[in-house]
Amino acid sequence: MAKKINLGIIGLGFIGKVHLRNCLSLKSANVVAVADVSKKALKYARKLGVKRLFTDYPELLKQPDIDAVIISLPTHLHAPCAISAAEEGKHVFLEKPLARNLNEGKRIISAVRKQNVKLMVGYPLRYFSGFVNLKGLMESGALGEIQIAYAVNIAAGPFFHRAESAIPRPVPEWWLNKEMSGGGVLMDLGCHIINLLRWYFGEVSKVKTVLGYRFNFDFEDYATCIMNFKCGTSAIMNVGWFSQNTAIGVELFGTMSHARAYFSPSNKAITAIKLILGRTPKFFKPYLKELSHFINYISDSNEKQLIGEDALKDLEIIEKAYKNQIT
Amino acid sequence: MVDLLSLVGLIECKDRNVDSLREAVKEALELIDYSFPKAKRIVIKPNMCYYWDYSTGQTTDPNFVAALIEMFREEISPDIEISIVESDASAMKCKYAFKYLGYEKLAKKYCVNLVNLSEAESKTTKVKVKDEVFEFLIPKVIKNADLRVNVPKMKYMTFTKISCALKNIFGCNPYPKKFKYHPKLDEVIVALNKVMPFDLHFLDGLIVCGSKTLKLGLVMASQDPVAIDATAATIMSVNPKSVGHIMLARKEGLGNLSFKIKGADLDYFRVKYPKKGLSEKIVAFGYRVVCALGLDKRLI
Repeated sequence: MAKKINLGIIGLGFIGKVHLRNCLSLKSANVVAVADVSKKALKYARKLGVKRLFTDYPELLKQPDIDAVIISLPTHLHAPCAISAAEEGKHVFLEKPLARNLNEGKRIISAVRKQNVKLMVGYPLRYFSGFVNLKGLMESGALGEIQIAYAVNIAAGPFFHRAESAIPRPVPEWWLNKEMSGGGVLMDLGCHIINLLRWYFGEVSKVKTVLGYRFNFDFEDYATCIMNFKCGTSAIMNVGWFSQNTAIGVELFGTMSHARAYFSPSNKAITAIKLILGRTPKFFKPYLKELSHFINYISDSNEKQLIGEDALKDLEIIEKAYKNQIT
Repeated sequence: MVDLLSLVGLIECKDRNVDSLREAVKEALELIDYSFPKAKRIVIKPNMCYYWDYSTGQTTDPNFVAALIEMFREEISPDIEISIVESDASAMKCKYAFKYLGYEKLAKKYCVNLVNLSEAESKTTKVKVKDEVFEFLIPKVIKNADLRVNVPKMKYMTFTKISCALKNIFGCNPYPKKFKYHPKLDEVIVALNKVMPFDLHFLDGLIVCGSKTLKLGLVMASQDPVAIDATAATIMSVNPKSVGHIMLARKEGLGNLSFKIKGADLDYFRVKYPKKGLSEKIVAFGYRVVCALGLDKRLI
């Protein structure tokens, strides 16, 4: 029987808690420690059976029996934490986006290469069955050559009202601070779609953007990007933080046919019931699959998919998109 | 108890531009025979809930507040000092809400003050409701205002059945961690209305969020918070007598349940309002049960 991977989870905000619950259901991994500045969050982890709790993540990284860490911290802490983890010889699963900017991203990649540890960035859309099937359909040739694609990721962003709760939760301050987040919706949701479209079509040759500011933020809360891919496909991407009803979807138009896939949260009541019963709601199943992939990735020396360099390319496109605005 | 007759004015307004709204609120005031007082300082309390945009039906439309500002400057004095007030809450900070919901732009355009009551000068005041004494910080900006104007939304709420004029004054309490009041919400709502009585209530029912978001096109005005809340409850198909804070407010002398509705047809809005269906009622009941059992923590 293969050795179980010992995991440490750093950051127990909303997505950190999703990862924690998912990790506890993985048969090939143990959650041995968690770190968060919030004592309330640590109490939550203790209730789920995690024994070692830290308020300071460097203490967690010093634990010799931890093989890998899941970092779900605010974006401005990605680079220092991921680099420290690599230096301690831990494999790293890092929440998207890779970093606030290309420079920080390059430093992370350099550190994991130097320390010969593995890095994976959390892009759950690649694990949603609808998007996986769409890729299969495209690759089968049934759609012909894809000439045009349309992709959308519209949600509430910082104003994310927990789908399963009736009470709004406070918005973490870092999310409203461009210095800490690295950007607006193009960074937060755009990276998901750019990554997904690159998985479908390969590298981007050209990108142009229109940015919008409905809520008077210091950064964009909606954006439209026009992307040309080297393969000849053109894509339009719409991302926004303005809707209380999440819509994530891709439509492909090829020389033979067209197809689409949309990913939506399940009914609020069903989501709530599943959470109360300790099960994984539909919306979070791709997150479970990506963690499972991460465990396989660090266990298997031949596993190549979704390595950290890939997320660096997403950041490159985002930086180009910010530069090439249509006015 | 014999109630005196209060007036509630109903106007249909399908357009959210400031000119149309200004005319609508003026007409609503005419319906309730309102005479503008001499005033130097006006406080306006919109409903800012979390950071939801006015288009969700959860928060007061800044254009509605703009229409009120224009009307007061026309009818009372162009030099009148106007403050728009709100306080920090468990999940909302005024500094962001003012900006994101469009009130910063509004304040700049109309030269009005934006006041975060949680940071404003306040004085501790005691108030008695149902033989219980409550103690609150009362902001001076509200205490010293010559005219206090409440601009609520109409919404269903899990713990109070409805939220309208009386509940909106809950947001005038400067203390940010408002969930501490949840065990005695009805009493606290009434206590705050008692200690900070507002003179005029305008319901922004242009867009409402019942079982779904809908353009209702309703403007309502009254000097009586109990009467306007009871009217709103009726439109939402909730029996006003089943709403704890409405009945308590009436008992404490804050308003009347006998009132006369003037203007547009109440039934038109009652039929149109997106009422809660059985499934929503079951979900709301289920959520109350989940909270009562302490299982809501698992929803994080």
